[in-house]
Amino acid sequence: MSTGSTSVKWKEADPRKSVSPARRARHLRSAQVPIFYAALIVAAIIWLAPVITLVLTALKDAGDFAVHGAFSLPKSIRWENFSEAWQTGVGNYFWNSVIVTSIKVPVGILIESMAAFALTHLHFRWANQVFVYILVGLIVPMQMTLVPLTLLMNALNLIDTLTGLIILYIGFGVPFGVLVMRGYFRTLPPAIIEAARIDGCSWFRIFFRIALPLALPAVVSLCILDGVATWNEFILAQIFLRSDELRTLPLGLVQFSTQFSTQYDQLAAAVLISVAPIMLVFLLFQRYFVAGMGGAVK
Amino acid sequence: MSTPKTTTITAPAESISAGAKRSPAAGKRNDALRFLPWVFLAPGLIIYSVVVVYPMLYSAYLSLFRWDGVAPKKVFVGIQNYVTLLTHNEVFWIALKNNAIWLVAALLVPTSIGLGLALVLNSRFRGSHIFRSIFYFPAVLSLAVVGLIWTWIYHPDLGLANQLLDALGLRVLKRNWLSDPQIAIYPVILAATWNAVGLPMLLFLAGLQTIPPELQEAAKVEGASPGQRFWHVTFPLLRETTLIVLAITSINALKAYDIIYAMTNGGPANRTQLLSTWMYFLTYNYNEVGLGTAIAVVLFSLTLIFAIPYIRMMTRKV
Repeated sequence: MSTGSTSVKWKEADPRKSVSPARRARHLRSAQVPIFYAALIVAAIIWLAPVITLVLTALKDAGDFAVHGAFSLPKSIRWENFSEAWQTGVGNYFWNSVIVTSIKVPVGILIESMAAFALTHLHFRWANQVFVYILVGLIVPMQMTLVPLTLLMNALNLIDTLTGLIILYIGFGVPFGVLVMRGYFRTLPPAIIEAARIDGCSWFRIFFRIALPLALPAVVSLCILDGVATWNEFILAQIFLRSDELRTLPLGLVQFSTQFSTQYDQLAAAVLISVAPIMLVFLLFQRYFVAGMGGAVK
Repeated sequence: MSTPKTTTITAPAESISAGAKRSPAAGKRNDALRFLPWVFLAPGLIIYSVVVVYPMLYSAYLSLFRWDGVAPKKVFVGIQNYVTLLTHNEVFWIALKNNAIWLVAALLVPTSIGLGLALVLNSRFRGSHIFRSIFYFPAVLSLAVVGLIWTWIYHPDLGLANQLLDALGLRVLKRNWLSDPQIAIYPVILAATWNAVGLPMLLFLAGLQTIPPELQEAAKVEGASPGQRFWHVTFPLLRETTLIVLAITSINALKAYDIIYAMTNGGPANRTQLLSTWMYFLTYNYNEVGLGTAIAVVLFSLTLIFAIPYIRMMTRKV
């Protein structure tokens, strides 16, 4: 499939080349376009089969599932799965995730942007070393920090609190956030900062009034990438949240699945509830995913 | 943090090169400016150091002790924990082997699929954006959710995998996918692959955008076949993207944890343990903090091998 479709791609990208001497080009255009789409659609359906299964399971009742399995249309749609899952704890997990994400992301981005601003526009000697020091955090496996963090959080009485978890998330978010924001701040012309400086702006004012607003695209990208990552985080929540009423969604779902392992309908509904906000954000802001990752590798 | 010395001072330069002047008139402000970067850096650096760096170093230190995590006294044993892991801990080797399989799979499969999809979806044809979204979508799901979804797919009676084999008349291939100790790690890797394709695809798409279309045209006029154009024009220009993709994929592969926890919890008979999950078991279930932190150090060292070229690349363009 891939050879054929790449040929189509080149041809599509380049309509002027319709008289190209390349032997295959002519018949590719007319004959292969439908095949190209058919192949893509089949691949997409296979690719999304797990998600389709999930949606179908969430909509049918347990009996239907037990008889016909996951990959069949529901005999009748059962919306109650969602409300039942919501009341069995998922609602609670959902709000915990909302709280954690909505505090962690803005606070994190603020301190990451400040650091990135210092690394790019407040010329100082150690900028590169500090950046490398921060980058190390991207590769540290969380396992490497768990035991000391347990001791630390214990000492600070922050075990089993959302506050403690948020602090940890902010700390672990610093490297990626600085990487993305630094990538963007580097593209801001120093002349703008210089001009503001000559006008007598303080550095804080420059940061808040000029640099940060100009970096809005990067901030939005980071908001989304970081929001998704925070929403999905599992291991720290697993170690540092002990009581059921504090659990965030990923942790709660795994717990839910061990408790109600046979109630596939409700579990699927629960998973769908946890995925829904991500799906929404993804559909609304998908171009920012590309922009954010672009910033991270440039 | 000493001040770099510059001798010439011009008015505009003064305002940008903070802390780079020795003029007595500007002396007072310069002192403030010298600390300014650190003021901006402080919140991030402090929380990052406390939450990530200090615990990492302390873990390395703890790996030299025998300790249950509770007792007031830690017994210094030197490298004994590492020796024990290598010689008396069978599961460590299972986990290491699983990590190796996972790593090889992650370097080959999601990267190739991601590159293939990026090549197909790079051009703007009708609907290309929808297809990009579809193929990227699994990447935004949490690995816990991915694990749960795929656990149903592998369900021995009701799961899609066995139903599909039934429908295709391949009954002999049906398995109890996640309970078969011989193969259980592979279905888990497949599930992880589904999630891991999006990122390479996105990065390759970004990389392809930077290649000027004129190069393709020129090669085409010269009569190069699509395959030749890919190998001799496109791929060499994607070299840097490829290196970044390989680095990020391998770092992520070594970090895998949630999905194991959601799908097999290391079982059956520890056959799907990874270093990350085995570290958790030793530390939190068996109270072997010394052995657990030693595994964490091993895991970090492995990650470092793949990460050093990446970090160099990120800082080279300063």
